[in-house]
Amino acid sequence: MTTEALFARDVRKTYTSRRAPPVEALAGVSMVVHPGERVALLGRNGAGKTTFLKIASTLLRPSGGTVEIFGHDVGSRPDDVRPLIAVVPQEGKPFFHLTPREQVFTYLRARGYDGRSARARTEDALGQMGLQEVADRLSITLSGGQRQRTMVATVIATEAPVLFLDEPTIGMDPFARRAVWESLRTLTKRGSTILLTTHYLDEAEALSQRLYIIERGRVLVDGTAATLKQELGGTLRVSIRGGGRLEAQAKEFGSVLLDDGTLHVITTPERLAELIGLAVREHLTTTVGPVTLEEAFLRVVGRSIDVEE
Amino acid sequence: MALTHSRLFRGTVAFSLTELRVQLHESTAVVTSLIVQVVLLLFVFILARDLLPVALFGAIVFSMFGLGQRVQNEAAFVRIDHKLNELYMAGPLAPEAYFLGMSLGVLGGYIAPVAVLVGVTLYVVGISATTALVLLFGTSLVWLFASSFGYIVSTLFRDMRTIWPYASIFYNLFGVLPPVFYPLGFWPASLTPVALVLPPSAATALVQSTIGWATLSPGEVALAVGSLLVEGIGVFLFAIYWARRTVREN
Repeated sequence: MTTEALFARDVRKTYTSRRAPPVEALAGVSMVVHPGERVALLGRNGAGKTTFLKIASTLLRPSGGTVEIFGHDVGSRPDDVRPLIAVVPQEGKPFFHLTPREQVFTYLRARGYDGRSARARTEDALGQMGLQEVADRLSITLSGGQRQRTMVATVIATEAPVLFLDEPTIGMDPFARRAVWESLRTLTKRGSTILLTTHYLDEAEALSQRLYIIERGRVLVDGTAATLKQELGGTLRVSIRGGGRLEAQAKEFGSVLLDDGTLHVITTPERLAELIGLAVREHLTTTVGPVTLEEAFLRVVGRSIDVEE
Repeated sequence: MALTHSRLFRGTVAFSLTELRVQLHESTAVVTSLIVQVVLLLFVFILARDLLPVALFGAIVFSMFGLGQRVQNEAAFVRIDHKLNELYMAGPLAPEAYFLGMSLGVLGGYIAPVAVLVGVTLYVVGISATTALVLLFGTSLVWLFASSFGYIVSTLFRDMRTIWPYASIFYNLFGVLPPVFYPLGFWPASLTPVALVLPPSAATALVQSTIGWATLSPGEVALAVGSLLVEGIGVFLFAIYWARRTVREN
């Protein structure tokens, strides 16, 4: 028995079908999420993020391994786990024929909140998600982003001890995404624990205190965005278009990656001028920017997060 | 956190009210739910006016049976298109409450048109106390069977397009083809047991026998009553089991 918000050990999942060969979606995932943490699962499409989230949220039977939520095993004690969790499903939509206000309120009532408490929480969540102006319009008339915000509002209103959010900000504009981030930060300050999947690297970086990178059903990295970037050996990314021929020389300045004809060099500010001088002498176009999680992801996985499995 | 419900069937009332709101916002669907019945009644009125009492009672039973198809479509749509079952199942709402709440919500949404039919029947042909009791018994079990069956079927498919043909087959095979809108006597005598086993026609046969349009032997009454009880309650109990069984995918 553990007091961790989430404790997963060697979780495996193989999808079997009579018509197709078995697909191994999870090949032994282990992770720990401490109470009050915000943790991101990062990975390309098909990496196994949603499969893990579904298992952890009692919606999918694993082929092996265990997941515990605050010490309750999701496999053998799902009824003990369910009151502790709330889930924003991937591509979930609110009832088209309910308004956002009705959606949030009725969901809270179905979870057992009394009317007064549900009403107060509903108004608070709608406010956080900026949905007051459309709160009484049927969801069928709302934009995709507004519907997604309704889903997030529905779940954050619960303030459940553990929240699972599968691509929570998909389809949202930048302002709405930031509103979601802010709400999630507030929730963890109040004690909730959040595990979210995303393939927006900026979201993972801005929101998560820790992250797991998953690739082909395996955890490749467990760390923070900062440590992952530090491991790259520099704080600046210099991209030299058509710089393939400089690869050997560039290695002296830091780690290099050749992607689609462009040479990316991770280096330090101290060596920047020298590296740019090298590129200028070869009459090559150079751009400089801060190292982001994207470079770290590329280094760890070997492919961009946008490349499909 | 102010939890107010017990664990068993926890959230049934709240979720049925959720579903009721959903249905009432679709007022066009509620209003048009009587179209098939009204058209068939119109045909009967034009072609064989003396059969109108039979057809009116049949329309009431058929309407209650039709609620099962609505549960089937609603449950499938909510699961396949909205993925809302994941929102509700990964929470304290009991799976049994999800199924039962959805069925009751749909019933609540669509009961008004059925009440209109009952009113018309009362006005046109009258309903004796015996007939009313038999009608209540039969339609309750038909609803229980159809809603439970509809919910179970909804869980068996992964896309809406696949589910539509099956919905149509069940609807017509159980509700239109057997003697629901017409007297049991018009149905081949050798197939009478079949009609008495299918819930909608079993309920209708019992009602027809109370208004003098069908003569049932004690054995046939027992078969109709037994079928309704066994199928209504049996399928309902299975749906309760199935609702929990299907929360977690394999």
